[in-house]
Amino acid sequence: MKNPRNPKLQVDIGGLALKNPVMTASGTFGYGEEYSRYIDLNRLGAIIVKGVSLERREGNPPQRIMETPCGMLNSIGLENVGVRSFIDDKIPFLKKFNVPVIVNIFGETAPEYRKVAEILSDVEGVHGLEVNISCPNVEKGGVAFGADPDMAYEITRDVKSVTDLPVIVKLTPNITDIAEIAESVESGGADAISLINTLKGMSVDIEKRVPHLKNITGGLSGPAVKPVALRMVWEVVNRVSVPVIGVGGIMDAADAVEFLIVGARAVQVGTANFVNPRATMDILEGIEDYLIDHDISDINELIGMLKKG
Amino acid sequence: MLHKNSMMSGRIISNREIAKDHFLMSLKVSSAESSFQEASPGQFVMLRVKGRKFPFLGRPLSIYSIYPDDGGFIVELLYRVVGEGTYVISRLKPDEEMYIMGPLGRGFDISPDHSCVILIAGGIGIAPLSFLCEHYRRCAAGRPQKIICYAGVQRSNLLVGLERMEEICSGVRISTDDGSRGYHGLVTELFKNDLSSYGHRDSIIYACGPSAMLKGLAGILKDQSVSCQVSVEERMACGVGACLGCAVRVKSGYKRVCRDGPVFDIHEIVWD
Repeated sequence: MKNPRNPKLQVDIGGLALKNPVMTASGTFGYGEEYSRYIDLNRLGAIIVKGVSLERREGNPPQRIMETPCGMLNSIGLENVGVRSFIDDKIPFLKKFNVPVIVNIFGETAPEYRKVAEILSDVEGVHGLEVNISCPNVEKGGVAFGADPDMAYEITRDVKSVTDLPVIVKLTPNITDIAEIAESVESGGADAISLINTLKGMSVDIEKRVPHLKNITGGLSGPAVKPVALRMVWEVVNRVSVPVIGVGGIMDAADAVEFLIVGARAVQVGTANFVNPRATMDILEGIEDYLIDHDISDINELIGMLKKG
Repeated sequence: MLHKNSMMSGRIISNREIAKDHFLMSLKVSSAESSFQEASPGQFVMLRVKGRKFPFLGRPLSIYSIYPDDGGFIVELLYRVVGEGTYVISRLKPDEEMYIMGPLGRGFDISPDHSCVILIAGGIGIAPLSFLCEHYRRCAAGRPQKIICYAGVQRSNLLVGLERMEEICSGVRISTDDGSRGYHGLVTELFKNDLSSYGHRDSIIYACGPSAMLKGLAGILKDQSVSCQVSVEERMACGVGACLGCAVRVKSGYKRVCRDGPVFDIHEIVWD
């Protein structure tokens, strides 16, 4: 039996009212359909779908993934069906659920970001955009924009200028001062900021003396990156006033609560979905239990309540 | 439809080494409502050790056998230790619990139109083919007139999973890399020598083994009209089609081994 005092879980992310703070991280949840037989998608705070670009992208040649100590490397290369197919083939399924759909968008050039944002802005069933300026696995675009404060500012401003949807900008950790980039995208008009994308890494097959990944390097995710993500979220919330969404190695409710305490308004669950398709539900229920156990009636009373040690 | 028991618990009944680095695990899944009653040959499960955080991704293992048992199911997995994940699994003892998710993927397309079925197994690739054989035994009605099995291994003491093959198949041909039993050479060569004796229209080939073997087979069948389905392997993370990690090159781009496969038409794959 659940304690009858149901704590309030609603959070507001840049104008998007979420029923709870548990979202799925882009690239780890397909277009929703893949996990719909394992969990009730209606219970999610939001679904962030796999990154969508203007044209279909084939992705990188295999081997694309490798498990590493407490984590995994991936180099998918933003394989996706392209924005038109996404709208025609994926949105109709997602519209059947009562859950905000946030589309992660990607471009090789600034005009491409703008174009994808423009196209999606008129689509019923799209509730927000997450601008990916942080993918480490593509030659053009991605992290090239996210590592430069001026470029990050411009992309954000460009996307904002063509859409009325809430815009989240997703940041890369592969940079010296993430708070500086966060400030740039905030001044570019970002409604919220999500961080971190994966950490660029590498792994070598010592028998064959070749990289495990065909793309040589990949993005590290999973529990190994959580302390880095947490530190960066903490740095960013201290420097910006827009809502921050914590992402990186969240495997269970305790991990999620750490991010909330540090100041994240919501969290994204990524690699954990691969390990356990019910991970988001377990995390959601665990957060609720934590609030009940700690006599907190509204999750917003927990967010950012980090005390000095 | 929502599968509440997507991540089921399985209790290990036995987990024995039957040849060097080759293990046969028997798991009891108690839920009678599990999706295992629909399992078809060529499908796989994701296995994860309970109470152990790392390795943290599940390991995909193809199904060797499934049968109902006392209100639940027994799932048998024949696997080879190839890395840390399978090593950890191989150390598990009876009564230990595992997470098991499945059955996953698209198995063999079992066509009733072929009177002659040819199975070609390389090493541990025999596991799903043996399950396929078992399937034919269970449905006596649609059983092909002839089932021929080719099994290739490095050396004779690595021959596993042949019992059912020998019971069900009209013929079992063996090859070893070192000549310690049967044909001395590759299983694909052994098959190639017999190829002309099969009628291309009424035969179908099902194959599973290392990618070099499947690539060799693709070369042999390049200009042949005989149908051939292969089960391929790639590193996986999610097992359900979300992560796009297990990509395989096909003529139209990439497909997902876990969801679009692991069974593909041999001519659809780009073998480079």
